[in-house]
Amino acid sequence: MKISNIKKEYEKFTLSIKSLEITNSAQNTIVGAESNYPGYVGAASNCPDNGQYKIYGIIGANGCGKTTLMKIMAGIISPSSGTVDYEGLTGRDITMIFRKPYLLHDTVINNLTYPLKIRKIKPNSEEIDILLSMAGLQDLKNEYALTLSGGEQQKLAMIRAFIFKPKLIFVDEGFSNMDIESVNLFEQYIQKMSNTTWVLVSHQMSTIRRVCEYVFFMHKGEITEKGETKKVLDTPYTKELKEYLQYV
Amino acid sequence: MNIVEQETIGIIVLTLQMTLLATAMSCVIGIPLGLLLDKASFPGKRVVVLINRTLMAAPPVVIGLVVYLILMRNGPLGFLGWLFTFEAMVIAQTILITPIICGIVYTASERSAKNIRAFATTMGANKIQTEWLVIKELSNEIYFAAVAGFGRAMSEVGAIMIVGGNIRYHTRVMTTTIALLRNRGEINQAVFLGIVLMIIALLVQVIAGALRRRERRTDENF
Ligand SMILES: Nc1ncnc2c1ncn2[C@@H]1O[C@H](COP(=O)(O)OP(=O)(O)OP(=O)(O)O)[C@@H](O)[C@H]1O
Ligand SMILES: [Mg+2]
Repeated sequence: MKISNIKKEYEKFTLSIKSLEITNSAQNTIVGAESNYPGYVGAASNCPDNGQYKIYGIIGANGCGKTTLMKIMAGIISPSSGTVDYEGLTGRDITMIFRKPYLLHDTVINNLTYPLKIRKIKPNSEEIDILLSMAGLQDLKNEYALTLSGGEQQKLAMIRAFIFKPKLIFVDEGFSNMDIESVNLFEQYIQKMSNTTWVLVSHQMSTIRRVCEYVFFMHKGEITEKGETKKVLDTPYTKELKEYLQYV
Repeated sequence: MNIVEQETIGIIVLTLQMTLLATAMSCVIGIPLGLLLDKASFPGKRVVVLINRTLMAAPPVVIGLVVYLILMRNGPLGFLGWLFTFEAMVIAQTILITPIICGIVYTASERSAKNIRAFATTMGANKIQTEWLVIKELSNEIYFAAVAGFGRAMSEVGAIMIVGGNIRYHTRVMTTTIALLRNRGEINQAVFLGIVLMIIALLVQVIAGALRRRERRTDENF
């Protein structure tokens, strides 16, 4: 997908993204981001040469606009101006996992199969068992989902997204309540899931480093730095990113 | 079974018919209206909400009077000949409780519909699936609205007295009968009907409770 000249204005905040491109990994993945932020330095062409990225990260301080940007990309809110080109992807191909997931007032299993139900796909019980055990929820599948713990709720939201195999998944701090083992497990799964492109927002630089190949740094509503993860995190260019990383 | 008891049964049945019909009509109008009121944004929305809130607490006799003026022989709908009929009572009740149902649904929708719709978007739900999900997720609140409306309609006396006229075998329902019996000094009969009314109210709550979805833990932040 490609977005250009996006603006979203709130009372005390303006999101302003000049251009950003994320292409599904089934196709050739090309990424670029540009900003009119002073001091911004980006590749002139905005397109990394052989950019075959599958997992992107968005980092930045609280309130810099990460969630807002994701919601626009996931089609949950519309920008005040600018265009979002989904390049053939439809609402059924894109999903977003919220920091605080929305769980239906229903059982764990019915939450998990909801995306299949609206697609009129018959659940495959073998696949469901695999996903449930991955989330450690096999014994809780007939429980009322809202009685789950915070981490269990996040894991349920994760496998509920996995089950319908979207082409593009946005994860907004989706691991924040998970234990270390679960984070590890899901990170591995994300890396293995083919034909899916991921965009992760996380404050855990360890997660960003381990799984994201390409990262965007946001500051006050703009993307001010971007590039391959190792390069961006090891050699931050802007003052803001240096400050952001100083406590890591 | 003597004649009095048969008449009593007729009154109870008429009461239930009137209340159920008015509640059903109010649900059909009020639930979508409440959802729409939350979803739509238009100039003057706050005024509409304020009017809704006011109508939720409208005095029944005033509503009765308005319906009376509309249905009376020279009124705009006088040609229907509905004054002092079952239809007139159902209309008055519907006008009385639609704002209650609409208002409760609106408040519930305002609190969670946005989240539900955002979630539905992430799941790839289409428009119909999304709105259906909103209704399903708000079903407890909707039950509550319907039960509150039913209770109001069943216990109300002022509006139906004016538009129904408390005509024997025709528009006489439990509340109007109780008022009449007390005037006549037939306290025992009045108390009996009052108890029956209370039992029906209890049964409605029991049925609604059984239909309600169990919510053990919902949205705790601690
Ligand atoms: N619906 C809204 N109405 C008004 N202001 C909003 C709204 N949504 C977001 N904002 C503002 O936009 C700014 C960016 O919010 P956003 O949620 O995108 O930040 P974030 O980068 O995700 O932060 P965090 O790391 O804390 O999650 C904040 O200052 C917030 O107050
Ligand atoms: Mg956020």
